[in-house]
Amino acid sequence: MADDKDVLRDVWFGRIPTCFTLNPDEVTEREAEAYYLLLPRVSYLPVVTDKVKKHFLKVMRPEDVEEMWFEYEGTPLKWHYPIGVLFDLHASNTVLPWNITVHFKNFPDQDLLHCPSNSIVEAHFMSSIKEADSLKHKSQVVNDMQKKDHKQLWMGLQNDKFDQFWAMNRKLMEYPTEDGGFRYIPFRIYQTLSDRPFIQKLFRPVSPDCNAHTLGDLLKEMYPDALTNDGEQKRYQVLIHGIEPLLETPLQWLSEHLSHPDNFLHICVVPVPTD
Amino acid sequence: MWFSVCVSLILSDMSCSVLDEQQFRQGCQLLLQRSDQLGDGWSWEAVQGSEEGYLRKTARRSVPSDWGPLHDQEGFSFHPQTLCDSTGHEKEEQDPAASTGSDFLSAEEQDDGSYTVTDSSSRVVQYEYHILFSCSYGAPVLYFRAFTLEGKSLALEEMWSTIHPNYRLRLQNCPLSAISQQEHPLLGQPFFFLHPCRTEEFMGLVLQAVQDQGRPVNYVLSWLSVVGPVVGLDVPLQYCTPLHSAVSLNSTKPD
Repeated sequence: MADDKDVLRDVWFGRIPTCFTLNPDEVTEREAEAYYLLLPRVSYLPVVTDKVKKHFLKVMRPEDVEEMWFEYEGTPLKWHYPIGVLFDLHASNTVLPWNITVHFKNFPDQDLLHCPSNSIVEAHFMSSIKEADSLKHKSQVVNDMQKKDHKQLWMGLQNDKFDQFWAMNRKLMEYPTEDGGFRYIPFRIYQTLSDRPFIQKLFRPVSPDCNAHTLGDLLKEMYPDALTNDGEQKRYQVLIHGIEPLLETPLQWLSEHLSHPDNFLHICVVPVPTD
Repeated sequence: MWFSVCVSLILSDMSCSVLDEQQFRQGCQLLLQRSDQLGDGWSWEAVQGSEEGYLRKTARRSVPSDWGPLHDQEGFSFHPQTLCDSTGHEKEEQDPAASTGSDFLSAEEQDDGSYTVTDSSSRVVQYEYHILFSCSYGAPVLYFRAFTLEGKSLALEEMWSTIHPNYRLRLQNCPLSAISQQEHPLLGQPFFFLHPCRTEEFMGLVLQAVQDQGRPVNYVLSWLSVVGPVVGLDVPLQYCTPLHSAVSLNSTKPD
């Protein structure tokens, strides 16, 4: 369907207007101006913030600069989560631009993974792709690819090349027609009010009696509190790429069209704003 | 009671080297019971009153300082070969602990005949090990972190220097089965972990060998005895002895 391809493009080109401000406690040689950037939802902070780093380094002495990290309203931002997930989870109902604070000292190593280079981001990204394929195809598709094919997936993401990425990614979205879908759906459900970072379990896209499972079915099984019962007031929003898909949407379709480039469906459950 | 659980592990389909969550928990419970008997220090940490959880253990280890970074690890950076080729084979299996010549720890005989490890040649590291289940890979996964005695957590480079050099060489050949930092899926904090993508492969070999001999197997224990020593986690041989006595008891006792 032509419409479905449009969805892939809309997902890929989603952007979040962001304002980066230097932490006021950083030692600077002169005042640091804020830096504005449109962040791709589907990418990762270390990949797209070189310009941010260069901008703030201009007003700092090298001895005051350690590993860069980002924080939103006191919460260190996990760079290994896609940017759109971080936004939906922490700031989805706030006024734009998204205000992120930049730090160059006191790296919170009890909260954040280190990211000394882009090859670490690449390793995480490829690790997610491999895990997703383990769920979808028992790793058969990803293991049949060559090293250059894996590189193409990463380079497509890093350089924002939709066609280059999807030329390879479409293979990861195929399945035997008789199966009706993937073996299991790669997903993660994030909640704001829990110590547990996410819920990830085995879930099939098709029931034993061949009915397509929906987003609602998934939530009912994994996180029933997210659903609103009849007569109740809605307490939670279920966000994927910043939108609330209908709960009746087939999970297989969501997995094929609304997954992130890492091939996971990242689902954020956030409290409904009370304004 | 526990050996009837053991029997169910034997009878379940171990021809497939993939584990399900229930088998994982059974394997953990067996390991835990034996650990209690041996005083080996493992505990089960449950997730908020559910059946889900993980095994946990802390241990102190003395690590020789002269294991430092390998000379060819200068400027160690993570070069992911993305994934191991499906055609790539592991190098010839060798026991890395059977090093020729050099000793693990430099020990000096004291006046009273006891041996101590000298401060200048080693340091003490506090480890915390977690065994979780990966539903994506149908395998156990080892997460761990390490601290100095002052409570400072070890970074990746420092962690590498606590791994025996022979293991380090082998891990470097396949970065995705090497050690990397990862978010703990239940606690959300940074840990190191051994990537589980190759587990099915080597466990397939282990299970085949064991089944050829007609011996019962605890998947979790067998897996741990392979990966544990790489990160300084010893699995004493005494873990295995009850299984043998279970087999001999089995022939005289009905289920």
